Amino acid sequence: MTIAIETLGLTKIFGGLVAVNNVDLTIPDKAIFSVIGPNGAGKTTFYNCITGFYVPDQGSVTFYGQPIMGLSPDQIMYRGIARTYQNIRLFPSMTAIENILVGAHSRLTTNLIDAIVHTPRFREEEARALDEAKRLLKFVGLAGQGDRVARNLPYGAQRRLEIARALASKPKLLLLDEPTAGMNPNETTEMIHFIRNLRDELGITILLIEHDMRMVMGVSDRIAVLDYGSKIAEGSPAEIQHNPRVIEAYLGRNASEAQN
Amino acid sequence: MNKQIANGLRVGLTFGIVNIFLFLIKFPVIAGTIIKKIIPNFIVALFPINPDILDILIFIGLIGIWAGASGGRKLDEKSDNWLTSFVGGAAAGLVNALLIGALVFILGSLTDAHVKINAYLAAILPAVVKLFLLDQNTLNGSLTQFVFSFVAGALGGVLGFAFRGQWFASLKNKWNAAWASLTENPQIKKTFARPIARIALSALGIAFLLFIPQIAGKYWNYTIGTVGIYVLLGLGLNIVVGFAGLLDLGYVAFFAIGAYTVALLTAPNPHHLMWNFWTTLPIGVVLAAAAGILLGIPVLRMRGDYLAIVTLGFGEIIRILATSDLLTSFTGGPRGVTAIGQPTLFGKPFSSDTDFVYIIFIGIAIAIFITIQLRSSRIGRAWEAMREDETVAQAMGINTLSHKLMAFAIGAALAGLGGVLFASRNQFTGPEDHNLMVSINVLSVVIVGGMGSIPGVIAGAFALKGLPEILREVQDYRILIFGALLVAMMIWRPEGLWPTARRSMELHSADPEDPESGEAKTSEDKP
Repeated sequence: MTIAIETLGLTKIFGGLVAVNNVDLTIPDKAIFSVIGPNGAGKTTFYNCITGFYVPDQGSVTFYGQPIMGLSPDQIMYRGIARTYQNIRLFPSMTAIENILVGAHSRLTTNLIDAIVHTPRFREEEARALDEAKRLLKFVGLAGQGDRVARNLPYGAQRRLEIARALASKPKLLLLDEPTAGMNPNETTEMIHFIRNLRDELGITILLIEHDMRMVMGVSDRIAVLDYGSKIAEGSPAEIQHNPRVIEAYLGRNASEAQN
Repeated sequence: MNKQIANGLRVGLTFGIVNIFLFLIKFPVIAGTIIKKIIPNFIVALFPINPDILDILIFIGLIGIWAGASGGRKLDEKSDNWLTSFVGGAAAGLVNALLIGALVFILGSLTDAHVKINAYLAAILPAVVKLFLLDQNTLNGSLTQFVFSFVAGALGGVLGFAFRGQWFASLKNKWNAAWASLTENPQIKKTFARPIARIALSALGIAFLLFIPQIAGKYWNYTIGTVGIYVLLGLGLNIVVGFAGLLDLGYVAFFAIGAYTVALLTAPNPHHLMWNFWTTLPIGVVLAAAAGILLGIPVLRMRGDYLAIVTLGFGEIIRILATSDLLTSFTGGPRGVTAIGQPTLFGKPFSSDTDFVYIIFIGIAIAIFITIQLRSSRIGRAWEAMREDETVAQAMGINTLSHKLMAFAIGAALAGLGGVLFASRNQFTGPEDHNLMVSINVLSVVIVGGMGSIPGVIAGAFALKGLPEILREVQDYRILIFGALLVAMMIWRPEGLWPTARRSMELHSADPEDPESGEAKTSEDKP
C-alpha cells in the first residue's frame, strides 16, 4: 500500500493552547479519509500545518515519502497538495475562469519574457490552460459561467468553483475543509457523488474535514476523530459510530454511558 | 413643505458660507477669467454690460442655481412638485443671497470709509470690491447681488425639478435609443469589427499622435511632454499599485535614480564623463530596476501600511542623499546637476520639446505594450490574485515574493525611464525635482484615473498635470480647484475617471443574483 501522507507526532501550540497534540495519521494513496471532531478540535489547524500555513512545533509530515514540513505554502502546492477553505476564499473580483487559471499557476511555466513578448510557447500554453480550465468548469457543473465574477456566483457554485480551482493544479492530495457547509440535503448528496468521482476518475487522494455526519459516513473509507487537538479514535465509519470515546466527545459522558 | 424650507435654509447657509470664503479670496474674479476663455466673444457682446462683470455674474449665478437645485431637491417621493422645489430653491437662494449681499455691503462700506482691507485680506483690493459691487454704489451694488443670487436660487429649484421630471427622462430615453440604434446597428458593428477597420483606426490614431507635436507650439509641446512623463510614471506605478496591490509611496526614488544616472554620466559637472544619451538611457532603466529589486527583497515581506511607510522612507532617503553635503562632490548636492546630455539622432541634435514628445510617446507605447501583455498572462493573474487574497494566492503555488519583486522591478524600470527623459529634457535635475510630492502626484494619477486601467492613467495624468498647466493663469488657486476636484471625484466617481469595466461594475451595480447567505450549519448529529 502506498502512503500518500503521513504525520508523526504533529504538534502545534499557540501560547498555552495545544491546538494539535501529537497527532499520528497515515493516509493511504487514493483513500477518502475524513477528519472529524467537535468545534475547536484543531481540524483546521491540522490542515494549516500540512499545507505550510503554520510551521508545526513538533513532529514530521511526509508526502509520498518526502518530508514537506517547513516548506512554504507555494512549495507544498508544487509537491501536489491543494486545498479549499472552510469559509470560501475565492479571488472575489476575478472571474470564475480566472480563478481556475490562478489555480493552474503551478503547472504553467512561462516566465516574464515569454509573457511580455507573447512567444509561441506562451500562446500555446495559455490556450491549453484555458481549455483545461473550461473542462474543469464543466466538470464541476459550471459550464458557461466562466465570465461571471466569482463573488456574484451562488453559494454552492462558489464552493464547487473553489474545488475546481484546487483541481486545476492537478494535485495528488486534495484537502477539503467542510465542503458541504451551508448546503441543503440535495446539494450534500451531489457533493458525495462529486467527491467519489474525484477519487474514482481522477485518482486523487482526499482528506476531508466535515461536520455533516451523513456526508462523512457516506463517503469516507476511514475516519479519524480529533478532540482538544488529540486523535481519540480512528477506524472505518462503522467502527467510529460505535466508539464510546467519540460519542463522549460529541455528546458528553452521560450519553456515552447511556448508549452502552 | 416645512421640511423643504428647512432643507433650503440649511443648504443656503452652507452655500452662503462657502461663497463668503470664495469672495474673500476674490475667487469669483478668477473664475470670471476662466469663463471668459470658455464663452465666445460674440455672445458676450450681446450683453450691454462690462464683460468682466458679466463673467463674475455668470459664476455667481451658476453657484446660485446649484444652491437652489440643492435646496429644492427631492426629499420624499410624494410631495415632490414644482411648488416644493421652487420654495426650497428660493429658501436656499434667500439665505445664500443674504450672506453674499451682506458681505458685499460690508466690503463696500469699509472701502467707502477708506479702510485698507487688503492689509488684512491681500486679495480684496478696492478694484476688486468695485467689481463685486458690479460698478455701482455700495447700496445698489449689494442689493443687486442679493436679488441676483435670490433669483438664481429660485430658478435653480425649478430647474432642478425640471431635470428630474418626466420630460427630461423621456428626452434622455430618446437620446439613449438614438445612440443605441447607432452603436447596435449590425451593419456598423460589422464594419468596425473587420480587422482592416481596426488597423485603419489605429493607424489614424497614430498618425494623429505623430501630427500633434508638429502643430502644437513650444509651450504646448512642453506641457504634453510633462503630462507624458507622468503617464509613463503612472503606468509604472499602475503595475505596482493597480495590479500587484503594493502601496508604494517612495516611487520617486526610482525616478530620481533614472534622472541622476543620466545626469551624472552625461553632464560636464561634477564628473565630466560626457557619455552619449542613448548609452545612459538603458543604464538608467536597469539601475532603477535593480534598485527596485534591492529595496524589494527586504521590504516586500511587509504588507499594506507597513510597506507604504518603508517605501516612503526610502524615497526620502534618496532625496536626502542627493542633497547631503557629504555626497556633494558626487551628486552635485543641493544645487543639482546642470547641462545634462541630450539625445541625438544620426549625429544631429534631437532634443527640442517636439522631439522629446516623440521619445516620450515611444516610452509610453512600450509601457502600454508591457502592461497589456502582462495583464493577460500567468504573471498578471498572479498579481491580481495576490492583491485579492495574498494567503490563498500563496497556497495556489504563487511565489509571492518573486512576483512582488517582478512588479516592483518593472514599475521601477518605467520610473527610471521617466527620470532619464525628464532630466535630459530639462537639462537639469536637483533634489527638489524628487520630493515626496512627485510620489503622491503619481499615486493620485493612478487613483484618479482608475486603478489598473491604462486609459485611466492617461486621463488621470491629463486631469492632474495637464489641467493645472491650462489653469496657469489662476496659479494661486490651482490647489484649491484641484482639491475640490478630488473631493468631487471621490464622491461621484470613486472608481476613477476611466475605470476598468470590472471595477466600475463592482462599485456601481449589484448583480441581481447575490450570493445566497451561507450560514455554516454545524450538525450535532450523533456519530
